[in-house]
Amino acid sequence: MSRRGVRTVVAFEAAKLRAQFKPRAVLALCAAGPFAFVGAVRLQSTVPADTLFGRHMKESGFAAPLVVLGFAALWALPVLTSVVAGDLFSAEDRYGTWTTVLTRSRSRAEVFAGKVVTALAFSTLAVAVLGASSLFAGVLLVGRQPLVDLSGVLLPSAPAFGRVVLAWLSVLPPAFGFTALAVLASVATRSSAAGIGLPVVAGLLMQLCAYMDGPEAVRRLLLGSGFGAWHGLLTEHPYFRPVIDGTIGGGAYAAVCLTLAYRILRHRDIGG
Amino acid sequence: MRRDVERGRVEDLACGARAGGDPFVVDRPALEALAVSKRYGDRHALRDVELVARAAGLHGLLGPNGAGKTTLMRILLGLVRRDGGTVHLLGRDLDTLHALPEGVAGFVDTPAFYPYLTGRRNLALLARLDGDVASPGARQIDDALDQAGLGARADDPVAGYSTGMRQRLALAAALVRSPRLLLLDEPTSSLDPAGARDVRALLRQIAADGAAVVLSSHDMAEVEELCTAVTIINRSRIVFSGTLDELRRRAPASTQALRTSNDSGALEVAASLHDVDARAARDGGLDVSADPAALDAYVIALGRAGIAVRGLERRASSLESLFLQLTEDGPDPGAPASRDAARGRARAREVS
Repeated sequence: MSRRGVRTVVAFEAAKLRAQFKPRAVLALCAAGPFAFVGAVRLQSTVPADTLFGRHMKESGFAAPLVVLGFAALWALPVLTSVVAGDLFSAEDRYGTWTTVLTRSRSRAEVFAGKVVTALAFSTLAVAVLGASSLFAGVLLVGRQPLVDLSGVLLPSAPAFGRVVLAWLSVLPPAFGFTALAVLASVATRSSAAGIGLPVVAGLLMQLCAYMDGPEAVRRLLLGSGFGAWHGLLTEHPYFRPVIDGTIGGGAYAAVCLTLAYRILRHRDIGG
Repeated sequence: MRRDVERGRVEDLACGARAGGDPFVVDRPALEALAVSKRYGDRHALRDVELVARAAGLHGLLGPNGAGKTTLMRILLGLVRRDGGTVHLLGRDLDTLHALPEGVAGFVDTPAFYPYLTGRRNLALLARLDGDVASPGARQIDDALDQAGLGARADDPVAGYSTGMRQRLALAAALVRSPRLLLLDEPTSSLDPAGARDVRALLRQIAADGAAVVLSSHDMAEVEELCTAVTIINRSRIVFSGTLDELRRRAPASTQALRTSNDSGALEVAASLHDVDARAARDGGLDVSADPAALDAYVIALGRAGIAVRGLERRASSLESLFLQLTEDGPDPGAPASRDAARGRARAREVS
């Protein structure tokens, strides 16, 4: 497997994604959705006070991206990170194009690696667009006022901006874990519905498990726990342990899922 | 320029083949598959299959549906793992290759492409996937599309393509790899007669340019028209492998469908003649195998016996007859249907 070969596959997959409606629609939704949400909240008389930072949405533009992040962590991030990853492999089965792709000069390892890199890149892009859009929406529609953190301390604009960016960055490792889970589901089931749907269902189940009593070690193993790790960053004295756990957990899920997925693809008889 | 260089290399191989006289006597085949076996569970898909193809030749892989042709093609293209045997493509061991080597191209089954892209865009992307093998330019893609007869529809989305058009696009996708070994699974199966004729002419040209072309088919007439060598596979085993001339020498006389006023009397007359083999046909009348002179004598003898000939038409060519004998599923596949078929099987045993 060569880097050049993987880059070639990434370029191939990126060109295919650019030509499709679904990825563009998802990114457009990520870009426009936060503006619609913040605009609607600004127009109405009440605020989503039962969510973290919801009560501050009209007081500081930096609250909006954190409200969006809290909401997205429940189910939107598993969907966003699976929508391409869960379809990238199974689409070749749906279109019957595996024989076309694998009779070129690229090895299965290169094709697999290229597709995985594409899936991770799309997940990163989707999270980045959603995060950036919600930050811009808050700043543009509400303003750059200081933000009251979870300890009740007023954070000036610059640190608030930095904490918001860190909070969004902290969800990337678990997002990669979900991406890898979607890749595994896509390769194993050869079905796009399963590739996209199974990680979402798994995410919801993990959220449910997180609400139940159980050993702390097990709770830390849950992939969805990493999506809430950013709470520790929005306190007077930030603590990073949950973010580190989320990063390790996301990495572990990604390693296991991608190893399994590659083994399945490598040993598969195409059309046989 | 690159194409010219490759042609030069191919012509070296081709010259070697010509110098030897017999295209099966040169020392380095473009394709060499030996003792290839594949099982799916308890079922044998291929047993000790051998396929050797030389440069500058068209090699037919014949067999009825389910014989194992497509499985063999998938193995050769690296899509399916084999359980045993060795495969060398352009002299390189398939086990040491991680991807299809430069100069090898082909397709299996009904070719598929991305329906939301145009034919030209599909081709450009696939060419890009070949990456560091010096990606072909737009002109080479245009040439491939024109050669495959798809130039006029190249900018239409593939979603609107017929199966035949997708087959043409697959051929174009193979051509942009400047193949020296082309492996095609039933390349004309979905084409109209004119399209099939064009593709056959193209394949002849590719072989004439020095490439080895292996095409699988269940159409004896197509293989007879195109190929110089043929391998026949049945029930996962090779039952014949050799040149078409060798096959012709083993072929029985053509089979004729004969309708008479008295079929049982006609069978008795046939039994009295040495060179005529007549049997009751499944759909009524008789199947008669005889060379033209013996057939003439048989018809005259029928007239003398007071039996009217109501119809006589060729049912199968001699090669088709042999193909059917080699591949028909009788109650005892080991029992020869004729002396020629027995010789064919003996040859097959030698081959395997």
